[in-house]
Amino acid sequence: MAVPVEEAIAALSTFSLEDEQPEVQGPAVMVSAERAATESPIEYSDVAAYRLSLSEDTKALNQLNTLIQEGKEMASILYSYRSCVKALPQLPESMKHSQADLYLETYQVLDLEMSRLREIQRWQSSASAKLAADMQRFSRPERRINGPTVTHLWSMLKLLDVLVQLDHLKNAKASIPNDFSWYKRTFTQVSAQWQDTDTMREELDDLQIFLSTRWAILLNLHVEMFRVNNVEDILQVLIVFIVESLELDFALLFPERHILLRVLPVLVVLATTSEKDTEALYKRVKLIRLINIFKNDPVIPAFPDLYLSPAAILKELSVYFQKFSSQTRLLTLPAPHELPPREALEYQRQYLIVNHIGSLRAEHDDFTIRFASSMNQLLLLRSNDGADTEWCREVKGNMYDMVVEGFQLLSRWTARIWEQCAWKFSRPWKDAAESQETSGSYSDYEKVVRFNYSAEERKALVELVSYIKSVGLMLQRCDTLVADALWETIHAEVQDFVQNTLATMLRTTFRKKKDLSRILSDMRTLSADWMANTKPENELQSSQHGGDDSRSNFFYPRAVAPTASQVHCLQFLIYEVVSGGNLRRPGGLFGNNGSEIHVNDLKQLETFFYKLSFFLHILDYTATIGTLTDLGFLWFREFYLESSRVIQFPIECSLPWMLIDHILDSQNSGLLESVLLPFDIYNDSAQQALVVLKQRFLYDEIEAEVDHGFDIFVSRLSETIFTYYKSWAASELLDPSFLFALDNAERCSIQPVRFTALFKMTKVQLLGRTINLRSLIAQRMNKLFRENLEFLFDRFESQDLCAIVELEKLIDVLKHAHELLSQELSIDSFSLMLNEMQENISLVSFSSRLATQIWSEMQSDFLPNFILCNTTQRFVRSSKVPPTQKPSVPSAKPSFYCGTQDLNAAHQSFARLHSGFFGIPHVFAVVKLLGSRSLPWLIRALLDHISDKITTLEPMISGLQEALPKSIGLLSFDGGVTGCMRLIREQLNWGTKAELKSEVLRGIKEIGSVIYLMGLLDTVLREVDTKRFMQTAPWLGLIPGADGQIVNAQDGDSPLINLFKSASSAIVSNPSCPNPSAFYTMSKQAEAADLLYKANMNGGSVLEYTLAFTSAALDKYCSKWSAPPKTGFIDITTSKDFYRIYGGLQIGYLEEITNPQSAHHDVLGDSIAWGGCTIVYLLGQELHFELFDFSYQVLNVAEVEALSASHAHRSAQFVQGWEALLEAMKKARRLNNHVFSMLKARCPLEDKTACAIKQSGAPLHRVRFDNTVSAFETLPQKGTVS
Amino acid sequence: MAKAGGITNAVNVGIAVQADWENREFISHISLNVRRLFEFLVQFEATTRSKLGTLNEKLDLLERRLEMLEVQVGTATANPSLFST
Repeated sequence: MAVPVEEAIAALSTFSLEDEQPEVQGPAVMVSAERAATESPIEYSDVAAYRLSLSEDTKALNQLNTLIQEGKEMASILYSYRSCVKALPQLPESMKHSQADLYLETYQVLDLEMSRLREIQRWQSSASAKLAADMQRFSRPERRINGPTVTHLWSMLKLLDVLVQLDHLKNAKASIPNDFSWYKRTFTQVSAQWQDTDTMREELDDLQIFLSTRWAILLNLHVEMFRVNNVEDILQVLIVFIVESLELDFALLFPERHILLRVLPVLVVLATTSEKDTEALYKRVKLIRLINIFKNDPVIPAFPDLYLSPAAILKELSVYFQKFSSQTRLLTLPAPHELPPREALEYQRQYLIVNHIGSLRAEHDDFTIRFASSMNQLLLLRSNDGADTEWCREVKGNMYDMVVEGFQLLSRWTARIWEQCAWKFSRPWKDAAESQETSGSYSDYEKVVRFNYSAEERKALVELVSYIKSVGLMLQRCDTLVADALWETIHAEVQDFVQNTLATMLRTTFRKKKDLSRILSDMRTLSADWMANTKPENELQSSQHGGDDSRSNFFYPRAVAPTASQVHCLQFLIYEVVSGGNLRRPGGLFGNNGSEIHVNDLKQLETFFYKLSFFLHILDYTATIGTLTDLGFLWFREFYLESSRVIQFPIECSLPWMLIDHILDSQNSGLLESVLLPFDIYNDSAQQALVVLKQRFLYDEIEAEVDHGFDIFVSRLSETIFTYYKSWAASELLDPSFLFALDNAERCSIQPVRFTALFKMTKVQLLGRTINLRSLIAQRMNKLFRENLEFLFDRFESQDLCAIVELEKLIDVLKHAHELLSQELSIDSFSLMLNEMQENISLVSFSSRLATQIWSEMQSDFLPNFILCNTTQRFVRSSKVPPTQKPSVPSAKPSFYCGTQDLNAAHQSFARLHSGFFGIPHVFAVVKLLGSRSLPWLIRALLDHISDKITTLEPMISGLQEALPKSIGLLSFDGGVTGCMRLIREQLNWGTKAELKSEVLRGIKEIGSVIYLMGLLDTVLREVDTKRFMQTAPWLGLIPGADGQIVNAQDGDSPLINLFKSASSAIVSNPSCPNPSAFYTMSKQAEAADLLYKANMNGGSVLEYTLAFTSAALDKYCSKWSAPPKTGFIDITTSKDFYRIYGGLQIGYLEEITNPQSAHHDVLGDSIAWGGCTIVYLLGQELHFELFDFSYQVLNVAEVEALSASHAHRSAQFVQGWEALLEAMKKARRLNNHVFSMLKARCPLEDKTACAIKQSGAPLHRVRFDNTVSAFETLPQKGTVS
Repeated sequence: MAKAGGITNAVNVGIAVQADWENREFISHISLNVRRLFEFLVQFEATTRSKLGTLNEKLDLLERRLEMLEVQVGTATANPSLFST
């Protein structure tokens, strides 16, 4: 050879062809234009070359094969026939005049369909005639021609099968006669104007008879056969052949087995048409053998949704074939629906896959292991050049055995599915007890399919389908690898038989029998490959005609298989030897009785005979795998469609979809990887619709269902994945100590599921399309995460501010789920999605959806309705304020919270702890959720709120100032508490401005709330800052110094810069460094990072800033609220400063809250003190307040009174009735002191402004000292950023 | 049985059969290798496709990120006044 092909091909294997695609789909449907070897690709035209005088037989054989082909197409037409009549339009009244036109149109449409039926009628009569003629010709005892060969017998059986199927189909399809009667009616209407319609009418009548007669084809065939009365012999031979093949069940793949099973009852009926013949038949085949076969398979699959039952056929045919009706033993066989319950149960056990799944699993596992190991051996052999021939043959023989076993397994498994289907069709679902009346509303198809498979059965079916597909894939993968090994083994088998076994036979048993030995030597002539054993020179055999050689021949392996014709001729000759060419010879094919051949030889011949027929299947490697793994029939339902009178069944009725559905529903992690396999069923069905049935509309229907189904599948799968990852994340985030304390902690843990294989599927084969499942899932995930965020925000928006902790937790869970999923799948980054859903993408806007919501919530609900408890540092909702109306909380699937119900409950129990108040945890959540981007925005908004409040308070306070009496003196100690209170009440009745009182109080309370909130925020931010500082300080070389100052630990650059500098200099100094500039860039970037982090280091205090801000805001009203005394000294009686107003308000409010009937109880809380005292303090009136506050004065009076009372009478009568008020006053004083001391610590105002008295005695008001760095100077002007 | 005539010219047929075996050896050899070549091509296509798929996925992600950044930059450049301090 010019080109070393072998090496060239071997070189290809150096390419790396790994793409990490898991094999979770079946083999792809292959387009093959090759005709399979089982039906000789050249139509046996080479048989003539062997000079066996088989030309007649070959001709007849080819004729039958053509008929079979045609017949199959007819059957496809009939099977996929759908009634046209249903689609015909009805004319409305207004158009009755054009009725004639409609008739004509209808006629033309129907005529097309009817012409097909007419063709079928014509074809069947000619086919029957030809089959009958063929049988007669080859069964004459005095025939002059060779034949029939075994292949010929097979062809007869197959044609007979086609005819039986066609007949069965014609009987089953009710729409055909229906359409026909319409056709006939329109014909009578239309043909009224035509002339010469007699022939057409006759034809029509013929067709009508054909269509309306049951078993018309068989009856016709019967008539044709028995025109001349000599076909009984061949019928008997056929029956014997069938029975023996079935009983041996060695070389039959399931399609052949089913053909034999279908034909047998018909053949028996045909063969028992006379007493004599019947006896002859039973002499050759015992009746019990037939009955056993019939009993063994009470239902036989015929079409995807049609089954045949031998018992029923026999019974039905006995009506038409009178002679047969005496065969009572055959006729008493029960049909599937008549089976007694016990037997039916027995069959059920046999037919249902679920009862065998254990052993099937074991078979599968065992086979795959052994197959892989022999595959490895073969690969080892190939890589090993000078291998020992003996070992070589052993390995290849082993491979051959494995392939044979694989085919048989596949055949058995697929047959199981076919038979289970047939069984299910024969026994529709009955659930009478549960739903008597509703079951009537289910269609028949639902009864036989949808409800007829229990969950266990579906699971078993999925498993078996995946076994079939995966073994099929495995076999198909190694097609070209094993091909030559298989050919070599087959070659060796044939040569061994013809060169060695036959030689031995010729020398021994056949020596005397001239005729037989001649046939045997013919077998050698036509198949022996003598030259093959001459190749290895050292082992050259002396004799080329090694027949007489006593030692067995050694022949050199040759990777060539025998042709179909050689196999055909060999089988013919073997058959010739054992039967003596006599059809009448009693006994079976290889039955021993009356034969002149030795038992051992007969056994050898028989084995070889059946091996030969299997060789062809092996040679058709891919085609055989294709047939054996074809599960397309599971989709088809033409027969039920017609009987249910619907256009198509919903997808829930479709068996492939039911399997997918079951896998998704069951949440069984073991099944999940097989979820793509049921889609292979659709692939197969589509292939069948196009190639076998050749119907475009069927393909379209399948395509529509697949499109629909795949969409549902992807969305449900994504949801399953999402839920799984959510629950995983949620269970990981649960507190361990909580789990430890929990009784049913296992409910909060999740079963691991592997989606890895599905995540890797970038090419799902679906109806010839390649679909990237991975990207589809990623798309859906992106969408689901966004939807979930959206939902969480919606949910938060419909709750109050306290729900922020829950929101944070849920977002945490989501984020963790995202993290886990990102390891498998590339999806958008979480921060990106979060920003997107927060509408926070713009670089120039700092508010976000969440920040806006928090702010508006604060403004409208939190500040007015929540009251502060200073001790617990919490804000709680005031019990007096009616809760605001909110849109109802949206609910969603559990997967949008934490995954499963149990996890939701667990997380909910945490969230509930924080749902009743607002405190430190909430501020933490706010800080975390808003981040450094939106938090300043919120702070600014709150500060503005303070200044707004002050502005709105100003006129009201002026009002109150006006309402104050001209002068209020110090309270006198004379009247005691009671006197004081009376005096106060008199003086502080506010006159007409009393209604302003509560307004002002509320305003002050809000200001206080904001300030306290800022205090909380300050605490939290400080903690966060400290944490960040701890993390970055070592890198920046910083250490905390005294007074919260941060100092550099060492001079010069920070450790971060030093590290990068030294690293890059070390690398650059190395001469082998390819690209030093990159390292310079890196060290520059380190400097930049250093700067950035240092700039962020000192955040300052939010609270101090707030106080400064408030103070600045108050500056404007200083003149009004803190009027400088005219005299220059403290103005006691006429002062209308703020502290006085506040003091008045405070005592009024204290009185009110101590009054049990008061409605104001619990409205203001402690923040009133925060607000009031802060303003007082910032106005520099703290000391004034402490001196002149009314309640303080009352307390002083009470103290003196109590003291004097204890001195005098030891009776506290005077203060009686005032304890509650006094207590409240004391409490208020304590609180005020607390606030003042805090303010002094955080905002030391004394340093800044004070009142001084000059040496001359003139006072100086509000003297400013700029001895501390005040925040005033750094205050941004409001309005720069809006 | 006589009618099963047997091979009339056994020697010639034997020679022809022998030649046939040899011819067919050549044919099967060639056809098998063509099939192997074909199978390689199919596999090559499949591998390439999935590698391209992986690449495409990465590009997709980058593209989306780029789009996002472009939008962000767009919002910034639409308000130049904010940056002119």
